[in-house]
Amino acid sequence: MHTDFGYFEEKQLGKPYDVKLLRRLYPYTVPYRLLLLCSIILVVFITLLDLSLPYVTKIAIDRYIVPQKESAGNKRPDSAKDKVRYLKADITDPAIQAIVYKYSDRFEIDESFARISFDELSQLEKKDLAILRKDDLAGVTFITAIFLAMVMAGFVLNMVQVIIMEYTGQMIMHDLRVKLFAHIQSLSVAFFTRNPVGRLVTRVANDIQNMHELFTSVIVFVFKDLFLLAGITLVLLSINWRLALVCFTVIPFVIYASIHFSGQAREAFRILRLKIAEINTQFSETIGGIKVIQLFLQEKRNYLGFKRLNHEHYLAGMRQVHVFAVFMPVIELLGAVAIAVVIFYGGGQVLAETISLGALVAFLSYMKMFFRPIRDIAEKYNILQNSMASAERIFLILDSTESLPQVAPAIESGTTSGSKTQRQALEKISEVSLKNVSFEYVDGETVLKNVSLSITAGKTLAIVGPTGSGKTSIINLIIRFYDPASGRVLLNGIDIKKISTPYLRAKMALVMQDPFLFSKTIRDNITFGKSNISEPALQQILERSNCKTFIDRLPAGLDTVLSEGGASISSGERQLISIARAFARDPDLIILDEATSYIDSETEHKIQGALFNLMANRTSIIVAHRLSTARGADKIIVLNRGKIVEAGNHLELMQKKGFYFRLNQLQS
Amino acid sequence: MLDVHLSTSCRVYETFDHMKSFYLIKPYLLEKKFFILLGLACLIIVDFLQLCIPRIIKWTVDDLTAYRIDIRTLLIYALYIVGISILIGIFRYLWRRCLIGTSRRVEEGLRNRLFGHVQTLSASYFDKVKTGDLMAHATNDIQHIRMATGMGMVALTDAIVLGTAAIGFMAYINVKLTVFVLIPMPMIVLGARFFSKKMHRLYGEVQEAFSDLTEVVRERFAGIRIIKAYNRQQEAASRVEDVSKDYIGKNLSLVRITGSFFPMMVFFSNLSLAIVLFLGGRQTITFTITPGDFVAFISYLGLLTWPMMAIGWVTNLIQRGKASLDRIDKIIQTLPEIDDRPGEVILKRVKGPVVFKNVTFSYAPDVQESGLFSVLARIDINVDYGKILGIVGPPGSGKSTLLNLIPRIFDVSQGSIMLDGIDIRKLKVRDLRSRISFMPQEPFLFAGTIRENITLGNKKIKDAELIRAAEAAWIYDTITSFPKGFETLVGEKGIVLSGGQKQRVALARALLKDSSIMILDDPISQVDMETGDAIIKTIRSMAGHKTIIIVSHRLSAVRFADQIIALEKGRIIESGTHTQLMAQDKYYAKTFRLQEIEEEYAY
Repeated sequence: MHTDFGYFEEKQLGKPYDVKLLRRLYPYTVPYRLLLLCSIILVVFITLLDLSLPYVTKIAIDRYIVPQKESAGNKRPDSAKDKVRYLKADITDPAIQAIVYKYSDRFEIDESFARISFDELSQLEKKDLAILRKDDLAGVTFITAIFLAMVMAGFVLNMVQVIIMEYTGQMIMHDLRVKLFAHIQSLSVAFFTRNPVGRLVTRVANDIQNMHELFTSVIVFVFKDLFLLAGITLVLLSINWRLALVCFTVIPFVIYASIHFSGQAREAFRILRLKIAEINTQFSETIGGIKVIQLFLQEKRNYLGFKRLNHEHYLAGMRQVHVFAVFMPVIELLGAVAIAVVIFYGGGQVLAETISLGALVAFLSYMKMFFRPIRDIAEKYNILQNSMASAERIFLILDSTESLPQVAPAIESGTTSGSKTQRQALEKISEVSLKNVSFEYVDGETVLKNVSLSITAGKTLAIVGPTGSGKTSIINLIIRFYDPASGRVLLNGIDIKKISTPYLRAKMALVMQDPFLFSKTIRDNITFGKSNISEPALQQILERSNCKTFIDRLPAGLDTVLSEGGASISSGERQLISIARAFARDPDLIILDEATSYIDSETEHKIQGALFNLMANRTSIIVAHRLSTARGADKIIVLNRGKIVEAGNHLELMQKKGFYFRLNQLQS
Repeated sequence: MLDVHLSTSCRVYETFDHMKSFYLIKPYLLEKKFFILLGLACLIIVDFLQLCIPRIIKWTVDDLTAYRIDIRTLLIYALYIVGISILIGIFRYLWRRCLIGTSRRVEEGLRNRLFGHVQTLSASYFDKVKTGDLMAHATNDIQHIRMATGMGMVALTDAIVLGTAAIGFMAYINVKLTVFVLIPMPMIVLGARFFSKKMHRLYGEVQEAFSDLTEVVRERFAGIRIIKAYNRQQEAASRVEDVSKDYIGKNLSLVRITGSFFPMMVFFSNLSLAIVLFLGGRQTITFTITPGDFVAFISYLGLLTWPMMAIGWVTNLIQRGKASLDRIDKIIQTLPEIDDRPGEVILKRVKGPVVFKNVTFSYAPDVQESGLFSVLARIDINVDYGKILGIVGPPGSGKSTLLNLIPRIFDVSQGSIMLDGIDIRKLKVRDLRSRISFMPQEPFLFAGTIRENITLGNKKIKDAELIRAAEAAWIYDTITSFPKGFETLVGEKGIVLSGGQKQRVALARALLKDSSIMILDDPISQVDMETGDAIIKTIRSMAGHKTIIIVSHRLSAVRFADQIIALEKGRIIESGTHTQLMAQDKYYAKTFRLQEIEEEYAY
């Protein structure tokens, strides 16, 4: 198999995301819209609470702490310096009356009211003041009680909201993760050939994780921030629209700064993500090839390469730090300018008595609150970009439709599609054939040229030929890992493109050159999802696949957990397990790919025995590495450079004294 | 009360300082200490400048209350605020650059260190540890540590400086009120302590669950062909679904803690505000403090809110960072089982024999207790320089393990291996390996070009040498048939090459290396007979110049060896030349005849 796939480099992904991607994410939120709605309603309440806290303070100041109750009649409006704040006292109350009389020289007395300037007021004794302003004191107590209640409500609502949101976010991510996994899994083998496993894993694990933050922190918080902004704008306008409008003059600058910033930040994040992906790839490669690295003393060179990459990541990180280090202070500065405007312009308004002091204080508080969401959104932008970059990669994969085409109507088990006769025709495999099949992994590099062959039920077909002659490719086509470039692969005369792939594969069992086993128990590896195998049946499978002896030797027997890559047992034993796995499927067709390499003759005899049992009464196609394996086959196909050079049984081929005969002679 | 606050900060510092794994990031902090000091200075300046603004607001409010201010003064106050803010902006830029930049450096340095260390670990470590786990360490954990050092440093300093200053200013206005305002503080401290313990544990669990998830997904993608061939997509997906659910569960139990922790911090700081409103309001009414004081008090409290929250946040960040740092530390603390011993002997050119003296080996350290058989037992071998040793035996008999002992992939459990009469454990690992050219059973190719895979990036190697090695491994014609020749990219693990091609590229790599001992583990298992025989012929021609040890299942590959041993269950059952072994009529002879008969039948 000669192929020259260009190593698939991570492309610099195309530019604008944001809105389009968010729209694509929307469907995933639909099942949880009720929870999201709950969350948003809670956020609205929380925001309202947040907004009203300064307002409550304003009321406390204006009404009770620094009241505005000066009487209009005695106001001398000439200049600000002559203005005086007065406190009004109701002298119908005997307690107050007593105090008024006590300091009668300080009060100006009308019929039922007495008033006193704030300057004079401060001269009074504390206990007298307390009596004089007992209504104010009671008011403060009352306001504080309201304030406390709101604070507690805020606490509870916040907590509930966070938990609901986390749950929702996690569930959305879970759905997306499972979907992404299932999608990747459904892609053709060619896709896996081009994309390193490490990168695909990053998509399913890390990228989805990044998206999770989009849901749990960004969406709700951006919503909250926007809501807060709108709310503050309204409150500011309602307190004093003129002052509010004057303050808003800074907003265009904020918008300009934000747009400028977002462009820079996006680029910085993109490079960061890219570098992290490269770092991951090198890490995983190093671990995979650690033995070679150590034996060939490549540690230093490998380390230097990694160090360079890591430093590029660092530089990208520093660029991001710079972008933020500029942006954040700029926003803060604009916020300070707004506060200065409130002090200058608003202060003037207080002097001109257009607004109250309480209103000014509230304005200052709200102005500070106004810039916090802007900063927050900017910080969230960080996460948002991260998430968006991840989302883009995820959708890139979800969009790739690199699965093999299904020619309608597909024939499946248990469905009505496909004609009845066709389905019956597929009940049991009676013939597998290739008709004029040509195949290439990449354009222009033909691996198989015009190959035709056929095998009938119960027979054994062996494919022999030098390494790279295209033997494995034939298997890849029959099990439909790939489709031929031209020609057809037929099962009982039906093009396999017309048969649903799961149905097709259900009739076959593949025993691969490298018997990939999962980190599960031996039992799980053998039954491999087929839970309906009874214990006696399983024992019989073990017996017939020659697994019994070595499994019985293991302390945990069938329940021995294999470690990563199945390294805890020998390669021959792994072969035997993979044969047992094929047994458990009870297939019509056995496809065997060079399963005899690595193995010594004695174990090979065990394996041969197991295979003999497996192939009994079944159709089988064997990629034979050794000519001796092919010897007993009903039919032998001799491949050379993608072409069939000879076909026939062993005797026929030997009599021909051709390629096969020469191959046999070379082995002597 | 001031003390209470300070002691909180101290405690946070203590957690930070008493972390046993702190030493890992210390060098990078020291390296950037000037930046850190500059950054912290700037941060403190920013903090103090920030404290000025409420003062200006207080003056404004007081003056406005008393109507003793004119427009000009208002303008001056406004300009003060703008001026101070510009300064804040400049210093803020500086600290961000310095402190957050430092955390990026910590990230870089730590990742380099982890990578460098992982490379030194012995093969046995990688049998135990899952790739996905290590990957998670390299990205997530290091990111958490970066956050903890960068923002952790900032938040901690902020909390202390702003906190103390804000408290100071408040106390200056009114001590009694300040004391009351700080009442919720101890609760924050207790809350933070209580939650941080739980968080630490839960963060660890979340990260473990994430590793599991990564590993399950990785394995399924790696085995995609089998999954597809056996129609097991649904099972694979449901397994992923299960671990994903498990991960969610872990996250949710964490968020139950963090989700109540942050609102609680807000709650406590608002509680302080309520106290100001109530007591401060009363005091303003009774003229104990001025309205300006009252407003400034609220402003200062606003400043205190952040430090209060920061304590919570910092606790969280540091807990998470600590969990990550501990995990990394665990790897760094793992010493390579194979390492240089003090007083090692310098090895020059090997001229003498390779000798195994009563070697026993088992993967588990204590054979008796683990109940496992030793993989190799009582092995005695003597291969003279320039000779060929062939090793045969059934799978699992210990052949590969025996080979792995020579370059010290593993060390012997008992006995010793001598090279030139020196115990190889006394040699520098680097020296030893530089004299050995090893071809492992499973060829590993890197995702580079064929040239890079054979030369391993050594640019000094001349094209002529490269071509000679490729020719010797019988891969040269194949390579030249590729459009890009030696520059062909082979993809991850050489995925674009066939098994036989990969094997021959790996062989070319081993042949290219100048060495005294060549060890080949089943070098022709995946190539056809024709090519295999040609390769063996080349290898045989190298005898005399180097000692060759070769394992093969194809007995024709070892029959010409000067000495052949047959292993079974970790013991040498036969030893001698081909003729001697044939005469013994045991495992070797039986297997040989079997293969002969198979080949006879081939006629």
